[in-house]
Amino acid sequence: MVLTILFACASEGLAQAEGALSDQEAETFLKGVNFNGLGRVYLRQTDIEGDVLENDSLTPRRLTDGEFLLDLKINATPNKKTEVQSILRLRNEFGGFFGAGQSIEVRELWARGIIANRVEYRVGDMDIEMSPFTFYLPTEEGVINQPSAFELQRDVIYYEQFYTDEHSRRMQGANLNFGLKFAQVLKDADLRGFIARVRGTDFLTIPTRWSSGGELKLRTRKLVDATGTKADLGFNIAYTFDDLKSGDANSGIRNTVYTFEYNVIGYETKKMEYSLFGEMGRSVLTSKNDSTTFFTTDDVFATVNAGARFKEKDLFVHAGFSDVGPDFFSIGAQSKRVDFDAAKTFYNRIGQDQDVRNITLFDLSRDVAIYTYQLSDRLMTYDPRFSNTFPYGPATPNRRGLNYGADYENSKVQASLNGAVMSEIRGQGTEQLKDFFLVQAKANVNVNKFLEWENNINVTVGYQYESTNRGGIEVEQVDLNSNLFEAGLELELFEDFEVLFGAKILDAVGSDYIPRIDEFNDVVDFPQRTEYDDTETLLAGGVKYTFKEGIYLTLQYQSFDATGRSDSFRDYTLNQIFVLYTMKF
Amino acid sequence: MSNKFGLKRILPLAIALVLFAACDHDTEPETPSLFDRFAPLELLDSLQSSTTEVDFSAGQSVSFTARFNKNIDWVITITGQLSGGVKTIEGFDLIVDPDNATWEGGTTDLPLFREEPCMVVLSVPEEPEFGDTLMIEVLGTRVYEGTLVTDFEDNPGACIQLGDFEFELNNSGRRDDIITAAQGDFFYRLAGTDNETGGPTDNFFVGLARIFACITGETYIQVPTTVPENLYLNLFVEGRATPYTRVVLGLIIDSNDSGDFEEGADAIRSLEFDPTYTGWRLQSFNGSDFGVTQEELQKVVGIELVLISLNNLQPSPREEVGFETDYVIFTQNRPLEL
Repeated sequence: MVLTILFACASEGLAQAEGALSDQEAETFLKGVNFNGLGRVYLRQTDIEGDVLENDSLTPRRLTDGEFLLDLKINATPNKKTEVQSILRLRNEFGGFFGAGQSIEVRELWARGIIANRVEYRVGDMDIEMSPFTFYLPTEEGVINQPSAFELQRDVIYYEQFYTDEHSRRMQGANLNFGLKFAQVLKDADLRGFIARVRGTDFLTIPTRWSSGGELKLRTRKLVDATGTKADLGFNIAYTFDDLKSGDANSGIRNTVYTFEYNVIGYETKKMEYSLFGEMGRSVLTSKNDSTTFFTTDDVFATVNAGARFKEKDLFVHAGFSDVGPDFFSIGAQSKRVDFDAAKTFYNRIGQDQDVRNITLFDLSRDVAIYTYQLSDRLMTYDPRFSNTFPYGPATPNRRGLNYGADYENSKVQASLNGAVMSEIRGQGTEQLKDFFLVQAKANVNVNKFLEWENNINVTVGYQYESTNRGGIEVEQVDLNSNLFEAGLELELFEDFEVLFGAKILDAVGSDYIPRIDEFNDVVDFPQRTEYDDTETLLAGGVKYTFKEGIYLTLQYQSFDATGRSDSFRDYTLNQIFVLYTMKF
Repeated sequence: MSNKFGLKRILPLAIALVLFAACDHDTEPETPSLFDRFAPLELLDSLQSSTTEVDFSAGQSVSFTARFNKNIDWVITITGQLSGGVKTIEGFDLIVDPDNATWEGGTTDLPLFREEPCMVVLSVPEEPEFGDTLMIEVLGTRVYEGTLVTDFEDNPGACIQLGDFEFELNNSGRRDDIITAAQGDFFYRLAGTDNETGGPTDNFFVGLARIFACITGETYIQVPTTVPENLYLNLFVEGRATPYTRVVLGLIIDSNDSGDFEEGADAIRSLEFDPTYTGWRLQSFNGSDFGVTQEELQKVVGIELVLISLNNLQPSPREEVGFETDYVIFTQNRPLEL
């Protein structure tokens, strides 16, 4: 019915849906099939040393590995309204020969086009992002303002896991979207829907899992000319379900999340703008056994923020309140990037007893294996040293409190300050509630612009302070404080030749209980209180030569030091030297 | 000012949103309780029993009370000082009381209790150091519902036939030696070695015992129900750790209505079970497992126990096979509940 009304009110359909080809583009493409892609050579040598290796004869003291890969992107436009693309990956592991370690695979495959100049479609691989509470990939832990020295390794991780600069998640399926323009009240409307298979059946007990969603975005014209009042409104629904007719499975879940987004600009002049923005909604989680529902839970959330943008000063300040219920369950928004239960590629087990090594800043900065874009049907494991206030991003359940922030940006400096004062809504194992205090600050300073030098000199800093406290009797008390500091320098000595320095330091002291969580976010148990007295230091230095945009070679040395380990390990040090050559063509 | 900044429009919306945000959630704390998991254990009220002497045969029971400072897994272990019988009562609670800790004379680990002093120990598995103890006296043992065929306490005379045709049985028959009976003082043993010398006769059969209905004073055993699906034959069996023993258990049916067992004329409805374990265990079999009919259950003239040696598995020289049995009883609708 909503669609009918919108169609009736629409003055014209958007002639060109986003992503469809213009005539000029199509003409260009029609000249032939296009070949693009990425080539990469990545060679690493990692040494380990420290007390942890005492009486350990199994752990190799040095690991050397690497890969050579070519992602060949084949893009074809058979006609003005259709485009297909595939990426074929040819990969050879460093040291692989005579077929060992070699692989050829299809990394990406999709087709898209436009129907009747109105509706854009895409099938195959696609990146999906909706609102922060429906379908959204939260930012990874351990990063505030990544120094350039570590950025290059992060680019590899992002590329391998299909991460984008936004919060989209790679899916396989199909989507449709189209837009409408209006003459009165509404300016335009965008509608989008998708369905994707996120898990296949094992033909036994695990059913095929699908995710689907839809969003309607409405933008109004100026509602009050005197104040410039206008609004962006969004309606979102995400629905993840198991197909109980796939395989022999007879039990599965249904997770529905529907939300309303708003961004109301109450007053706008050339100098300033005041706005009210946020999102509210509800989730329902149902578990079915055949057609019988045996478990259901639902909860609500709401965020409301007020912001003021001072256009002449390049400053935006905002503050708000958020309340996310303890039973709020959104698979698409709460599945994290970092899987702290995943096996690491390097030194996963070390020491005399070959215990599993905890994920550190070093692993977060370089190990693709601990990252994922998959959906998890339970709250994933997290490390409170890195993030305790919002371990699952904005949709972290069981949080209520205030947040604030300020963003400043000009050609010389980009800076932001964000923070939150939150509390649990439901106690975990106690009536007492945890209180969280979070501050994040980051700044990029283009020093060369102050000095009026031609070559780049960029300084980056990032800092996060997080505090978690809970009162009560002794066994209930929690007191954990962590500091994460980042600093980086990017110094262009000669044209296209840069020297890179970076440092990341994590300090965590205190204790916390980390619940063991089962399906449906049920807390199964609280293992023994975890005591922290950790310092992790990751230093990097190297050079980078950029042949042309998208083609560079970097040589770096990194040193990681872990002291005062709270896990079963004693101190250890990892040293890494790597060469990374990347060519985008 | 309000108009200038559009606050008249924004404020009501903001208030509505905040109200929405503040709506109720389920705030019942996640379990388990941290206090229960990690607080030091304290026994606030020590273990007490409702009586120091109990006669289960008269329908009496004994209950226990205690109180901890937190919910915890606790175990009450009652051990017969003569029989060695053990009854355990487990719970997860702050309080031990008659609702969760009452003993009606039953047994968890055989033998059955006798008229004897019993030690009662309250323990906490998570706290091995913790324990609280008291003694009670059992004046009369629990009476189990059902049709008791025999507990071997009285000399059966000709009502039990021991078959030892190859002279392979050893120390078999009604005994009260070496081991403690599962109930009372006596039990029945079949034990021996088939073809111990490795001769030409290797028939797997070692010996048998037939318990005739006369042991109950009747022509036919008066089973509590003749519906096979509702009938259970229960017996306590102690086995052997070695894997070579099997027992064939049969109901002897008076097929020719002679009132006595006549070999070759009467049918035996039987099944096989595996007693390769140590210690006494309750073995219960449903009537339908024997393949017996309703009519046949009206003419059960005896019970047969055959000792089999699994010679295909046996080493050389052969090892002894055997088992002990005690307290043979029929029950209705469900297996014997200890």
